[in-house]
Amino acid sequence: MKPFDFYSPTTVDEALELLHSHRESVAVVAGGTDLVLELNEHKASPAAIVDLKHIAELNYIRVEDGRFRIGAMTTHAALAADPTIAKTTHLLHDATRLVGSPQIRNLGTIGGNIAQSSVAGDGLAACVTLGADLTLRSVRGERTMNIVDFLEGEGAQKRNSLAADELLTEISFPVPDVKHTATAFYKLGKRKALAISVIAGCMTATVDDDGVCTHVSMRAGALGRYPMHFASCEEYLIGKKLSYAVMLETLPIMHDQILEANRSRPWSVFYKKEGAQGVYKKLFADILGQLGIEEVRE
Amino acid sequence: MNKIIVHCTVNHKPVAVETAPNKRLLDMLREDLNLTSVKEGCGEGECGACTVIFNGEPVTSCCVLAGQAEGAEIITLEGISPDGKPDAVQQAFMESGAVQCGFCTPGMILTAEALLAKNPDPSEEEVKLALSGNLCRCTGYAKIVEAVLLAAARRREEAQA
Repeated sequence: MKPFDFYSPTTVDEALELLHSHRESVAVVAGGTDLVLELNEHKASPAAIVDLKHIAELNYIRVEDGRFRIGAMTTHAALAADPTIAKTTHLLHDATRLVGSPQIRNLGTIGGNIAQSSVAGDGLAACVTLGADLTLRSVRGERTMNIVDFLEGEGAQKRNSLAADELLTEISFPVPDVKHTATAFYKLGKRKALAISVIAGCMTATVDDDGVCTHVSMRAGALGRYPMHFASCEEYLIGKKLSYAVMLETLPIMHDQILEANRSRPWSVFYKKEGAQGVYKKLFADILGQLGIEEVRE
Repeated sequence: MNKIIVHCTVNHKPVAVETAPNKRLLDMLREDLNLTSVKEGCGEGECGACTVIFNGEPVTSCCVLAGQAEGAEIITLEGISPDGKPDAVQQAFMESGAVQCGFCTPGMILTAEALLAKNPDPSEEEVKLALSGNLCRCTGYAKIVEAVLLAAARRREEAQA
């Protein structure tokens, strides 16, 4: 590891001042499960490091006005253990419960997962599918943006909108109304634990009292640089009465989209286009079961 | 800034460790405190050999910077047998044949200790889930799971006696 100056602020304001004054060459360490490895392998060599571990005000899970508000330093383990998330948002519960290993879940944070914007970030894919809003703060002020816009921005690291002196402080999304909305996550990996996602399937679906789909979100991690959005599949389902048979009709659309998007990587596309369909069959069954529409047995 | 002083509690003793900011917790424990039970396996958070108990939870010390341990309570294998006598988990590992080459063992035992501190009566599935971040390339895991369940049973008996 190359030498660097290490700062351990205890408030967000203090952290923002440090980021601002060291913005020429600074890295933020949250859980450390990515950055510490990059430092150790000389893939990152910032002049200064700002550690967020001692900022208590970034570690919370609250429900306010029907929205979850989650501090960026909340660990995967804390999210997986939260009873309200477990009850209402299976998608985030399972994404955080299954990531890495117990040790990694005790260290890794949801804010770090999103800010890092890795190809295979499970928390990232879950939050994109949930349509989360992110709060970014710097000494210049505060801005809130949707996570999809966040990923489209070209900030300091080129992979998202974060500027060098900016901190992701909060993730928020509406608490799903479980009578009408179901959310689900299914990870395809090589092992049960300690396996990076090969495909991280995410889905939410909302139906009205007649079981007609009014909103649906289908995105999957590890199929492209950012979680892949199956917009045509969503369009197909909107306005239809949800059933397993109807949901299966989206799979040819998904197949073609993955084939098209991965033309430049022919070695993985054969597996991924088939794998994704298997993943979404599991998700459809899970969603229909949660909504009490249909018990799918395979 | 070449040196930092990290104030933390290691194996139940408060310490002020003079170390370098560009060290991992793993390196600080091994090099500055001579706690060589902490093993570096993969160095990427994938194998669990460097597991220590950090504020009550098992974490991979290769993913933590030394400075991040400020104020933390850390327990390594040396801290579970302060008088040099094996504790219940260590004893059970020896008796069950849960140790072969031994490189993963300190991490395995600490992960098991953290589990048993929270859940004194775990099911076999709970033990397997808790140990899912610790890789062992020798034993095939059966004896390790057996050892943790044996240690748990003995601790419960002791607590009742």
